[in-house]
Amino acid sequence: MTKYFQIWLASARYSITRTLMFRFDFFLWALVELFWMGVNLLLISVIYEHTDSIAGWSKYEMLLLVGTSLLVQRFLMGFFWSSLFEMGRNIKSGAFDFFLAQPGNILFMASTRKLDLDGLCNSLVAMGVVAYAAHRLNLHPSALDLLLYAVMIFCGLIIHYSMLVMTISLAFWITSAQGIEGSYFTLAEFSRLPREAFKGIASVLFVWLLPVVVVSNAPAQILLHGFQPAWVIALVAATLAWFATAVFVFHRGLRRYASASS
Amino acid sequence: MFPAFAKYRQSFLIGLQSNLVYRMNFAVRGFFSLFHLAVVFILWGAAYSHSESIGGFSFGQTLTYFLVMLVMQFFVGAFNEDYQISEEIRSGLINQFILKPINYFSYRFSIFLAARLVTGALILIPLLVAVPLLKDYLTLPTEAWRYLLLAPAMMLSALIQFSIAYCFGMLTFWFLEIQGFVILSMAIESLLGGQMFPLDLLPTWIFNAAKFLPFYYQTYFPTAILTGRIEFAATIQGFGIQVLWVLVLLGVNQLLWTRGLRRHTAVGG
Repeated sequence: MTKYFQIWLASARYSITRTLMFRFDFFLWALVELFWMGVNLLLISVIYEHTDSIAGWSKYEMLLLVGTSLLVQRFLMGFFWSSLFEMGRNIKSGAFDFFLAQPGNILFMASTRKLDLDGLCNSLVAMGVVAYAAHRLNLHPSALDLLLYAVMIFCGLIIHYSMLVMTISLAFWITSAQGIEGSYFTLAEFSRLPREAFKGIASVLFVWLLPVVVVSNAPAQILLHGFQPAWVIALVAATLAWFATAVFVFHRGLRRYASASS
Repeated sequence: MFPAFAKYRQSFLIGLQSNLVYRMNFAVRGFFSLFHLAVVFILWGAAYSHSESIGGFSFGQTLTYFLVMLVMQFFVGAFNEDYQISEEIRSGLINQFILKPINYFSYRFSIFLAARLVTGALILIPLLVAVPLLKDYLTLPTEAWRYLLLAPAMMLSALIQFSIAYCFGMLTFWFLEIQGFVILSMAIESLLGGQMFPLDLLPTWIFNAAKFLPFYYQTYFPTAILTGRIEFAATIQGFGIQVLWVLVLLGVNQLLWTRGLRRHTAVGG
């Protein structure tokens, strides 16, 4: 465990040095992410210009939900995105050999190689959005609520990570994963919707089968209505199930990896 | 005229073949676009549960808008042309086009057309699933002029889409990595191109300003024509601005190409 933490620290140090070398890139990517967050918030703002409620959620409740969803996504971007994005390309080019030759867990080595500081900086903006919404709603969560919120965000991060690993692992089966990563963003769109909006088959599929709705709704519910055991249990169970599935799919895919000819 | 046509016909055919290799990627992307439609259905369905009409349009009309927008993206949208051009510049593959009697823009555009033929055909598969499910909601206007003007609007939109992607690809002459610019522009395009929400829901002054930007003509314009969100007089005026943007972007493309080549260093043999 300590060994892996040290490896992660070394990767983090390398990423920070790299960011300092390419400062323009850092500002550009921070701006890119900020802009995408703005686009999502603007969507909410435009809809609420024309209606008062979405599935019983007021404007600022929705803002809190979207902010929470963006927070999980920013952490994913900051900690894992670049490494997993490259993984897809490396599988295609054969450069993935490099990770196979390393004396460590392959999935760990391949998904923690790079840290994106821009994503992590924007997580502060997402936190700001959540704090602003909570302030407008006049919420006063207790320290325990905040701790639980943080745990829920961590679970959400693991679920998003698992979904992305599975998406990228498709590259083991199809020739190129180029453009496939985008599919993850499509699934992530569901996490910006309130649970109550899902009815019938959509509820079964996106709330119970795919955990995308629980990921954001569970932490948001803690801030809005305090500790709710059902939500917490659902999210922790989903986290364990999805992480295990992602590891399984990745290793299944790995068996198909054929490197590349010279 | 004809030898030139034959030249680009060949590159079109090569483009067709190379895009068919990646048909699974496009098919997966098409499949996931069904999920995007589901998000639209759920979000807007919940918003409409409290009001009969949003911005003067019913739920069915809004849903039709998003479905048409999706189809439009697969038929005229640039996918990864900017990255492909960037890669050809960075790797030096572009050198062969400088030495041969072939226009790089026309070569890339013929490949773009081939790619859109493949992606356009592939989006029809998920559409076969979506349309029967949504048929009770879908509603299209009946005026004939909308269907007549759709094809030219789509062709000009494709030219704008490709030209913008080409411009970003050309940036590789100046910057090593263009991904940041591309994704920033994607955010702007998805917002001002009407992919996030129908542009007419924006405050009037922003909507009027957006009409003068090229993004409006990327996907929103043809979608609005087909879904009845724009009237005849405004459509004709829109065509004028769209043609103007095509000309401006073609000029910028040419400028970036000639300026970029001056900076280009062909290394290796």
